[in-house]
Amino acid sequence: MADIFDRINNRLRGKVKRGIAGIWQDEHQLVAAAKKVRGEGFRKFEAISPFPLHGIDEAMGIPRSFIPYVTFTFGLMGCLFGLWFTWWTSAVDWPLVIGGKPFWSLPAFIPIIFELTILFSALSSVGTLLYVCGLPKVDPPVIDKDLTSHKFALFIPEDDVGFDADKIEKLFKECGAEEVKRSEF
Amino acid sequence: MTTEVKDPGKYEVSKGFRTTYWVFMFLGILTFIVALIKNPERGWVAFLVPFFFFTSIALGGLFFTAIQHVTKAGWSVNVRRFCEAQTSFLPFAFLAALLILFFGGNYLYEWFHPHEVARDHLLAHKAPYLNKTFFAIRLVLFFGVWWIFQKVIVGWSLAQDESGDESITQKLVGVSVGFVLFFALSYSFFSVDSLMSLEPHWFSTIFGVYCFAGLFQSTIATMILTIYFLKKKHLLSGFVNENHYHDLGKFLFAFTVFWAYIAFSQFMLIWYANLPEETFWYIPRVQGGWTAVSLSLLFFKFIVPFLALLPRWAKRTPTYLAAVSIWILVMQYVDIYWMAYPAFFREAPVFSFYELFIFLGFFGLFLFSISRFLSRNNLVPIKDPRIEESLHHHVVY
Repeated sequence: MADIFDRINNRLRGKVKRGIAGIWQDEHQLVAAAKKVRGEGFRKFEAISPFPLHGIDEAMGIPRSFIPYVTFTFGLMGCLFGLWFTWWTSAVDWPLVIGGKPFWSLPAFIPIIFELTILFSALSSVGTLLYVCGLPKVDPPVIDKDLTSHKFALFIPEDDVGFDADKIEKLFKECGAEEVKRSEF
Repeated sequence: MTTEVKDPGKYEVSKGFRTTYWVFMFLGILTFIVALIKNPERGWVAFLVPFFFFTSIALGGLFFTAIQHVTKAGWSVNVRRFCEAQTSFLPFAFLAALLILFFGGNYLYEWFHPHEVARDHLLAHKAPYLNKTFFAIRLVLFFGVWWIFQKVIVGWSLAQDESGDESITQKLVGVSVGFVLFFALSYSFFSVDSLMSLEPHWFSTIFGVYCFAGLFQSTIATMILTIYFLKKKHLLSGFVNENHYHDLGKFLFAFTVFWAYIAFSQFMLIWYANLPEETFWYIPRVQGGWTAVSLSLLFFKFIVPFLALLPRWAKRTPTYLAAVSIWILVMQYVDIYWMAYPAFFREAPVFSFYELFIFLGFFGLFLFSISRFLSRNNLVPIKDPRIEESLHHHVVY
């Protein structure tokens, strides 16, 4: 039994990367540091913050998410599915006269089509988001326990281009990091 | 962190612009007089549609201003002056309403005539509400109270530009709550009185909300166009950027969906219940020449703007957004036209220079009032305590 739990647990932990983390007290310094780290050529680094930061996407050079396209595509599919499904159930497979209306009465089916559009787009967005972010993550490594309340961190993994521990430590310190440490994320 | 508030620049009405609105007004009045002589019924309904169109925009400006105060919104401070400017049309709208009350009502509203009411059991039943006296009382009361609220909400905001008194911002919250409550009821009654009662046998309890959806859409579209116009004149730099456009664009998008939702709710319940006393309103609208107009609302007031405003860049590209705004305003006119005209022209839509020029007349008057307001006041509420938030407005998504 314990073995199964261990296996699930390991599965859910996802890939943990080793690298170097810098920790800041001030979010503006973090944004500035992120810009500088990107300027140094790093691409795979992460920023960790207890709340959304204005301008961090631009500073880290994160492109726009592709999830809206997934939402739109699935919404369209939900719409078409609803259109086909209401037609098939009420006009083909089991035609019933309801309220003297034609079998296939579009106005009556619009709410169903609408709801299916929303359902498909919402579930697909959440599903894609979870998959892309590798969630849910059980028991992820903790860089610093204060990162969920009042501290901010940048994490550069060892596999990033041009990874050099001493250089990064110096860079973080220059940017005002209060602490630099080897860590996992 | 405080930023020094720069001068937003002064808007001056150019000579060409002045000429344009005077010509529009002149053409409108001339056409209206011709219409009254040749075909008064047509003249008055051609008057009613732009009257409702621009009154809604003026009132929508006040409503939008009020919800900014109620929600204590910071992002909208730099664009608030433009919805306040729209309210400057209200006194003119009141004059037009009085014209309808004293001269046009006899042509427009069946229930204005006592002998019609006496002949018709249903109209007699509705007479306690639908009668000329009560109509006049409501009209004067609504416009009067709207005008008082406009004086207070916009007036205090302008006074703050001079004094910088922060307590004004606090006091405006309560006043705005009062206006929002009054507006919800009064605008509903106003739309019932002026448009729904054109066919007094018909009733729809969602009618006020339907008109409100159009009001909000056209208000936002007008604001976007005002900002676009002023930005073209190189004003407002540093005050309004694509983030403000983005949020206004989101409102425009949201209320495009809201309009479709309400329009469909009204239609589907009547279609489903299939009661003759409700369906008779829709029947001429889905027959003959009106079919195309009804379908154009579905496609051009919902589907096209929905898809056009869906991408993020669409809301952040001023020229594109302004083009969609014009499109939406045109469809808002078609919408009101579609509500009013079939009462008089049951077979097919009519549209000629009467409709066009009387609309232009109102448009000229609207341009006159809004440009006068903007040239006399600061383009941005420069001493609003929340201006900082608007100057650094940043939309992440």
